[in-house]
Amino acid sequence: MNRIAAVAINTFRESARERILVVAAVFGAVLMGATVFLSPLAVGARQKIVMDVGLAAISIIGVLSAVFLGGTLVHKEIDRKAIYLVLSRPVSRPAYLVGKLAGVVLAVSLIFAVMTAVLAAALVLGDAALRPAVFAAVYLSLLETAVVASIVVFFSTFTTPMLTSFFALCCVAAGSLSNDLRVFAEKFGGAGTRAAANAFYYLLPNLKVFNLRHEAVHDLPFRVGDLALATAYAAVYVAAVLCFACLVFRRREFA
Amino acid sequence: MNAIDANGVKKSFRGGMSLAKREVLRGVTLDARPGEILGFLGSNGAGKTTTIKIVLGLIRADEGTAELFGHPAGSKEAALRTGYLPEMPYFYPHLTLGEFLEFCGRLSGVPPRLLAERIGRVVETVDLSPHRDLRLKTFSKGMLQRAGLAQAILHDPDLLVLDEPFSGLDPIGRRLVRDVLVDLRARGKTIFFSSHILPDMEALCDRVSIIRDGIIAKTLGLDELMRLGEGRIEITARGVRMGTLAPLHEYVSAAADRGDETFIVVRERRFVRPVIEHLYGRGADVLAVAGVRRSLEDIFMQEIARPAVPGGAEASNADRPRDPAVFAGF
Ligand SMILES: Nc1ncnc2c1ncn2[C@@H]1O[C@H](COP(=O)(O)OP(=O)(O)OP(=O)(O)O)[C@@H](O)[C@H]1O
Ligand SMILES: [Mg+2]
Repeated sequence: MNRIAAVAINTFRESARERILVVAAVFGAVLMGATVFLSPLAVGARQKIVMDVGLAAISIIGVLSAVFLGGTLVHKEIDRKAIYLVLSRPVSRPAYLVGKLAGVVLAVSLIFAVMTAVLAAALVLGDAALRPAVFAAVYLSLLETAVVASIVVFFSTFTTPMLTSFFALCCVAAGSLSNDLRVFAEKFGGAGTRAAANAFYYLLPNLKVFNLRHEAVHDLPFRVGDLALATAYAAVYVAAVLCFACLVFRRREFA
Repeated sequence: MNAIDANGVKKSFRGGMSLAKREVLRGVTLDARPGEILGFLGSNGAGKTTTIKIVLGLIRADEGTAELFGHPAGSKEAALRTGYLPEMPYFYPHLTLGEFLEFCGRLSGVPPRLLAERIGRVVETVDLSPHRDLRLKTFSKGMLQRAGLAQAILHDPDLLVLDEPFSGLDPIGRRLVRDVLVDLRARGKTIFFSSHILPDMEALCDRVSIIRDGIIAKTLGLDELMRLGEGRIEITARGVRMGTLAPLHEYVSAAADRGDETFIVVRERRFVRPVIEHLYGRGADVLAVAGVRRSLEDIFMQEIARPAVPGGAEASNADRPRDPAVFAGF
């Protein structure tokens, strides 16, 4: 546990000092600020746009930083052999991967914190009420980012950063659609298509689960039970992906 | 029980373009006994780093076994007792030296309450105390090498495995590393290190294993090292006339004049006295007697390079002490 924490903190420290993290946070903040000033609408409508753009920015920037940060961090360590210093110590390889993932998620949480603070400030200054749904939406986006980060860690155990990022982005894109695909196949497809769509659905993360933005923006009710369910789904998914990552990583040689 | 026991270790790598495997280690057998400094000598590409990585469990042997203190290479028990300095180590550039060592210490299971004190001590040992709070990316090559040594000894391991610990160091840094290693041996630690800097090895090692083309060509003990190291003895004299040396041909292997001085190479130690007496008897003056030890480099060239490059420049280099032609060119 102590060792996992050490790897996580180290990863966090390393990535917190990467420029990409600062760039992402600043970009998100500027985007939200700009929306406030640039939308020439009635106050109520403007708040909706600020919230809409803000939450979308948080989600997208979060996912993208997980992809690029995670992809390069793990690989860089293997490529430049820093990993020798870690794995020659009494640290199991699974512990290393878990620590890496935790560190990436921790670093991305920092971006989330900054962007959420800016969004909250923009809303409060615009005289909008800070609804719990906004924070629930941010929380789900963070879960989504953690799921994506675990996929990134999985790919980075055996491919290059370029391919890792590419595959991870494919998974994100497909994961956003997997629900629709399944519904589509249920309605119109034959048995084969249905089976394929089902396999697809269970293999890829169903990222729709983590999207509460519509409810937040339009002040629709949401259920706390759904949050718990999404949390459980993310935990199980991350654990499963990590298991596969460990299987690959255990056989890996660092020559 | 030995600190390192490698038995018939074989390893092949797939070549880049072709799919054919190339056997890089062809049955490496070596052992590091507790409390000794074992040198690991071999030319570029002989397989030193590959052997070291197998010993640490970073890569797997295709055949054979590697054990540390009786535990399989790469096991937690082995890792707990081992410190490792990789060849050309990469450090996290954004971390300060202190943060980096803290990370290493926690990974090695150093109890948190001891960690600060330990870090202070090793930073002192490698002479980096003033730089503790600087980012590693600002470190020079030699400083990084010393930081690498610091992380290797941080958890007070019983075995140190060092891949070229002297590379990138100036004479002061080399001296420092040497002192650290000698001190560790005095405290009963075992040290296994590879190096190209032969004088360092000669001065430090209790034994040296020489690897050539993926196989241990020879392991020399201290006594063998000393015997092999016994080289020529040179006498510098003045006033040696033509013919003075003629009766000494059984004692003297070579001689050369330079100005009014003469350099005389004596075949064996026991001939020094008769030669000097003879010189004095003929009115010559002895200015200096020097024992020139055959360096490990010479031995290395003879053991390693000669069969590989027959008649090559390096091979004839090794013969210099015995070669009057070369000697005459002083
Ligand atoms: N990952 C790898 N893939 C293919 N070949 C490799 C790999 N690692 C090492 N080799 C080959 O194995 C041989 C031995 O390499 P190794 O690094 O062990 O040599 P070395 O004795 O440490 O050399 P040096 O003194 O240059 O450090 C070399 O010919 C090298 O090309
Ligand atoms: Mg090497």
